[in-house]
Amino acid sequence: MLSREENELLTRTGQGTAAGEYFRRFWLPALLSSEVPDPDCPPVRVRLMGEDLIAFRDTRGRVGLIDEFCPHRLASLFWGRNEECGLRCVYHGWKFDVDGVCVDMPNEPPEYGFQNRVRTAAYPTREYGGMVWVYMGPPAPTPELPKLEWARVPEAHRYISKRFQETNYLQAIEGGIDSSHSNSLHASVEAFRGTGEFLAKVQASTSMRTKYHWMDRSPRFTVKKTDYGLVIAVRRNAEADTYYWRMTQFLLPSHTMIPYQKGHSIHGHCWVPRDDQTCWVWTISWNPEEPLSQEDRESISNETFVHAKVDPVTFRPVRNKENNYGIDREVQRTTTMTGIHGFAAQDQALQESMGAVVDRTRERLGTSDTAIIATRRLLLQEMRALAQGQEPEAAHRGEVYWVRSCSLLLNREVEFDEGARELMKGEV
Amino acid sequence: MIAHLEISTDFEHLIYRESELDAIWSISGFVLKYGPAADRKSLVRLHECAHVAHDLVVDGRPREAAEILDRAYNHLSAQV
Repeated sequence: MLSREENELLTRTGQGTAAGEYFRRFWLPALLSSEVPDPDCPPVRVRLMGEDLIAFRDTRGRVGLIDEFCPHRLASLFWGRNEECGLRCVYHGWKFDVDGVCVDMPNEPPEYGFQNRVRTAAYPTREYGGMVWVYMGPPAPTPELPKLEWARVPEAHRYISKRFQETNYLQAIEGGIDSSHSNSLHASVEAFRGTGEFLAKVQASTSMRTKYHWMDRSPRFTVKKTDYGLVIAVRRNAEADTYYWRMTQFLLPSHTMIPYQKGHSIHGHCWVPRDDQTCWVWTISWNPEEPLSQEDRESISNETFVHAKVDPVTFRPVRNKENNYGIDREVQRTTTMTGIHGFAAQDQALQESMGAVVDRTRERLGTSDTAIIATRRLLLQEMRALAQGQEPEAAHRGEVYWVRSCSLLLNREVEFDEGARELMKGEV
Repeated sequence: MIAHLEISTDFEHLIYRESELDAIWSISGFVLKYGPAADRKSLVRLHECAHVAHDLVVDGRPREAAEILDRAYNHLSAQV
C-alpha cells in the first residue's frame, strides 16, 4: 500500500518533480538511431518526460534533440528543413544547430545582434547500442552511460523494439518485475489448470522454465539491494534436493532483465516516461555469444514473446485498446488464458486496464508483491535522497550495469547470490 | 511477525515486513468488507494496527511497529 503522497511522488515526472528530477540524472533512451538514419534526413517528434522535442541528424551526422517549438512564435520545428548543419524553422527562417544555438535569423536586421542572443533548449545526446540516448539533467555532473551488455554486443546479436504504452512508467515496470503473473497472464489453459497430461509433457522438457514453472505455483520472493538497483530472486521447488531460481534485475532508474537460461538469448526492457500518463517501452533481445538465431527472429516477427508489431510512425502497437488487443474469445475458451496473442500485448492489455496512473492507495497487496514493494521503496529512497542533495550513485558508475539475469537449479542449501554469482556477470 | 519486526534492520528485512503487513491489512480488510459480521471490533482493531505498523516500518521504525502489534495481540488474546 502506498499513500497518496507517495504515489504522486513516484508517478509525476515533469520538470521540478521528484521523479522527474531523478530520471533526469540518468542517460535515457530517446529514439532508435534508425529513426534518423542519414545526415539531413527528416526530423522526428520525440515526447519524453513531458517535454515535446524534435530529433534531427545534421549534415555531419550528429543527432540533436531540441525543443519542438521555435522560440520565435512557437511554431513546430517538425515542419522544419534539415539543412547544412541545422534545422530551419520554415515559418520565418530561424535556424538552430544541435546545441540549440541560433545560427541564422534572416528576418532580423543583423545590426541588432538578435541572432547572437537567441537559443533554444537542447539536450546532449549519445549514440550507443542502436539508440540515441539523451541527458536532460543539470550541466554537471554529467552521468556515465550504463555499460549494459546488450548495448555492447555487435548489431547482429541484438534486436530492439520500441512501443508506446498508455500508462505511467511505474505501472509498466511493476509488470516487468512481477514474476508471479506469468503463471496466469501468459499461460495456456492446460498449463494454468495443471492437468496430468500437461505436467507429464513438461517433465520431459529441456527448458527449465517449462519444466519447473508449473510444478510449484506459489514461488517465494527474495530481494537484495545492489549497486545498480535490485536483484529479485524467485524460488520454486524443483527436484527433492534442489530449487529452481529465477533472477530478475531492476536497474536504476528503469531497466529490467528477464531471467534467462544459458545457451538461449536474453531479454530485457527499459521503461521511460513519455509523460505522466504514457511511457515508452523499449524491449531488447540479445545473444552475447552469437548472432540471434532464426528461431529468435521468428519469435520476434510472430510476436510470440516480448516484442510487438507497431505503427512505424507512432510506435503504437497494432494490437491496442481500440481493437481490444485482438482478443479472440474462442482462443481464450480453449487455448490461452487471455485469448490475446503475444506476451507484450497481454501485458499491455492488463496494465492499461488499470488506468493511466493506478490509484495505489486502493490496492490489496500480498507477499507475492515483494518485488513491487521493494522497487517502489528503492525509488522513493533515491528520489528523496536527491531532493536532499545526494546524487544517484548508479548514474555515475556505468560499470555496475554490467550484469545479466539468470535462471538455474541450485542445491537447497546454497544461497542464490552465492550460487548464481558467476552467471550474473556480463561478459561482453 | 512481532519477533521478526524486533530484529529487522536492513532494507531487505523491512521490505519483507512491509509485505507481510500489507497482506494482514489486505486480508482483514476483505473480511471486514465481505466476511461475517461477528467480532468486527477486533477485526477493525487488527486492520487499523496493521496500517499503523505498516507506516512505521516504511518510516524505518520496526520496533515501534512490533510494539503496536504486540499490544493488539495481547488485547485480542484477552478478548478470546
